[in-house]
Amino acid sequence: MKPRTRSFAFRLFVAGHEPNSMAARENLTRLCETHLKGRHRIEIVDVFKRGAVALKHHVVVTPTLMVIEPQPGVTILGNLSDTPRVLTALRLNGHER
Amino acid sequence: MSTTAPRAKKRELAKIQTGIVGLDDVLRGGLPAGRMTLLCGGPGSGKSLIALQCALHGATAGTPAILALFEERATAVRQNVLSLGWDMRSLERNKSLFLLDARVNPEAVISGDFSIQGLLAILDQQVKALRPRLIVFDAVDTLLHLYNDPARERHELNALHEWLLDRGVTAIMTVKADAQEPSPSRYSFLDFMADCVIQVDQRVTVQVTTRRLRVVKYRGSGYGRNEYPFIIGENGIVVIPITSSTLQHRPPGAAVSSGQVQLDGLLGGGYKRGTGILIVGTAGAGKTTLACLFAEAACARSERVLYLNFEESLESMVSNMRSAGLLLQRPVDSKRLVIQSWLPEATGVEEHLLRALDALDEFHPDHLIVDAISACERMGTKHAAFEYLMRVLDACKRRGITCIYINQATSADVVSEISGIGISSIIDTVIALRQLPVDEEIARQLIVMKSRGTKHSEQFHDFQITERGITLATA
Repeated sequence: MKPRTRSFAFRLFVAGHEPNSMAARENLTRLCETHLKGRHRIEIVDVFKRGAVALKHHVVVTPTLMVIEPQPGVTILGNLSDTPRVLTALRLNGHER
Repeated sequence: MSTTAPRAKKRELAKIQTGIVGLDDVLRGGLPAGRMTLLCGGPGSGKSLIALQCALHGATAGTPAILALFEERATAVRQNVLSLGWDMRSLERNKSLFLLDARVNPEAVISGDFSIQGLLAILDQQVKALRPRLIVFDAVDTLLHLYNDPARERHELNALHEWLLDRGVTAIMTVKADAQEPSPSRYSFLDFMADCVIQVDQRVTVQVTTRRLRVVKYRGSGYGRNEYPFIIGENGIVVIPITSSTLQHRPPGAAVSSGQVQLDGLLGGGYKRGTGILIVGTAGAGKTTLACLFAEAACARSERVLYLNFEESLESMVSNMRSAGLLLQRPVDSKRLVIQSWLPEATGVEEHLLRALDALDEFHPDHLIVDAISACERMGTKHAAFEYLMRVLDACKRRGITCIYINQATSADVVSEISGIGISSIIDTVIALRQLPVDEEIARQLIVMKSRGTKHSEQFHDFQITERGITLATA
């Protein structure tokens, strides 16, 4: 089935090492390991170091996770602690776990 | 021996001008520099435009500003202010202005806690690049609503406030308030954080819209404590300050002829220049004639008279007065007499007030006549009329302009009706006219009821309106 072969591209905006940003990195890594093994790419953008990228994408809150692939993309705000919500947003609940 | 400890020198609070006409007066110079000002009001109350105008004023004058928009699209804002004569694009090009589209994608999913560090990181970059004097956070509540948790909102606002204080940047935050609840209780803690809190609102009374502004607090500074009406005019916001001190009024000037010799006698020489005079009477009692008599005499002395007529047009007024022997066309032609006819209900009271003040400043009249103040109620409410009349009279007194108000009484008992929309306390002279049926005829009578600082008679005098003006029996 087609959905199984979907690959995921993420851009995660973090604010240095503040707790929510650290948590988001961990939560995203764990989620990918569990559900998307071998078919995901993660780009981390530290807004303190790359403010221009944050500006380009209007990222005013951190952490912000932008799902670039698959389309249509989706934006998830927060430290990604609510795993079921993240899975729903990624359209991963149900079939692909 | 007295031991006086050296007192700390009182330091003036540093302020930045808003550039908004009237608002800087109310704020005694402007907003607190390096501090946060909170601007709250309902939707459409004009709060965003006030903040925007402050930023654009500074940017145009060469002090850069940053505008963070949390609700409106940047393109829409650029378009809106273009109609008010500001070209944001060119300010952005020469780095006087930075417009940040800080809207959060409304479809974003929220999972767990977050902070506004992204915003601060972007702003930090721009602060370094632009060295702004002012940052505006427009509709910051839109962002905060994402939290849905008052404690978190408060925490993030604190972080923002600290960030601002560290950088010493002046900030304006606009926050929506409920129409029912003028103070945004959800953000009541903002009141403590902000050094200056301004509330704006918009009311519709009797189909006339009025906008008002009030400074709720201003740490370390005096400020005008009234509610001030403001309008959004062709060039943006204009706040109309009520002069708080009547001390600026000039003392009454010398007597100036009323245009009627016997009346001058009753008044102890005539009207006093620069004072307020109320002519009250029933319809057809001769109020306009009496005022025009004065106008004609003043113009003949080469003085200038502004006549604001809310009752009839210039043409009909000039032609009606001809029957009383008053030739107004000549002073109109020589521009010594300017008659402006306006429909009271055409605009709100603020617009009327602005027109009147503009006319005073442009024409520099020696005397002003308003005919009739009873019509001013049609600008909205009795209260609106009262404000209009108070402020016009106040403006006249400050400029040393004689101000004659004509009021139409609704009952024959003019004496008890002189209160004239409650302004009688600031009126110096009251002249009442009445008509009494006597033996199948109507007798006209005049009484000088109050004339501050002058000797005057306090009895009714018969008078007649003839084709050569007014004749008064003083015997």
